[in-house]
Amino acid sequence: MNIAELLDHIEGWWISAAMRGELPGTEWLFPIIETLHVMAFTIVFGSIAMLDLRLLGISSRASAVSRLSNEVLPWTWTAWCLAAVFGTLMFMAKAQTYAGNLEFRLKFVCMGLAALNMLIFHFGTFRRVASWDSAEPPPSAKAAGALSLLLWMGVVFFGRWVGFTT
Amino acid sequence: MFRPFADWLADTTLSKTLQNLPWVVPTSQSLHILAVSIVFSSACMINLRLMGVGRSGRSVSQLSATLIPWMWRALAVLLFTGLIQTVTEPVRQFVTPMFWAKMMMIIVVATMTAVYAKAVRRNAPLWDAAASRPAPAKAFAILSTLLWLAIIFCGRFIGYTWSFYA
Repeated sequence: MNIAELLDHIEGWWISAAMRGELPGTEWLFPIIETLHVMAFTIVFGSIAMLDLRLLGISSRASAVSRLSNEVLPWTWTAWCLAAVFGTLMFMAKAQTYAGNLEFRLKFVCMGLAALNMLIFHFGTFRRVASWDSAEPPPSAKAAGALSLLLWMGVVFFGRWVGFTT
Repeated sequence: MFRPFADWLADTTLSKTLQNLPWVVPTSQSLHILAVSIVFSSACMINLRLMGVGRSGRSVSQLSATLIPWMWRALAVLLFTGLIQTVTEPVRQFVTPMFWAKMMMIIVVATMTAVYAKAVRRNAPLWDAAASRPAPAKAFAILSTLLWLAIIFCGRFIGYTWSFYA
């Protein structure tokens, strides 16, 4: 089965039909799932922004970076998983349309780059966090924070644009 | 009662100029989502600490002193982008009860937050220790979280309900 067939197959599932509001009583399902997706995502972006602004030396300067990430990241991951589940449900409604949509693809490019940026930071600069935990973050940490903020903003912009182009 | 005003506003030069720029509404909405992410995440971090949920990190007064100024800044962005969206599409906003419910809840939660911020600033040690924390703290935390969730819900549902009333 190629990807086009798979997407077509997914659109035939009853849950996809429910997401399109085609089954009795499901008229409001998509708006509700979309609202839950937005709610979860606000926590993803807001919590990541707290860390990024700390890495940039702009906010939360009194907190050690390791302590702040320990405090914030469990919420980021929990909310990201919820946003992913609701997002997947939304995708199933019109799998082929979304998969072919430019803004949708760019959103995932941004998220992929954000993940890569996070991995590089985590296994690079963050391993030596003890030496700059409560001090001014090194340039590489600032770069990671700035890049993360920009990429997640890209996720929001392209995500919102999907709604206007599909 | 607001419909004639909405029709008048939609007919002004400013509104018509904005209506003819198709990027204005999606861009403004994206910034609106980014700003509400800051507000809601900050509120959740403070409220969870007040309820004693989550990993121990910063104290209630530290969290409030760091995050509440960001909430006001983000609220200013929300007000500005919300105003742009209202001037561009006034009918869409004014006809649905979702818009008015949202506005009313914003007034309530912003007032609550201002009162809370002042109380914590005045007596930080009292609020930091769970044992001495004033009794309304938990009620404030739960109510504020629910109000922000309801505000996001109404915000998203303006777009899904206005056509029934227009």
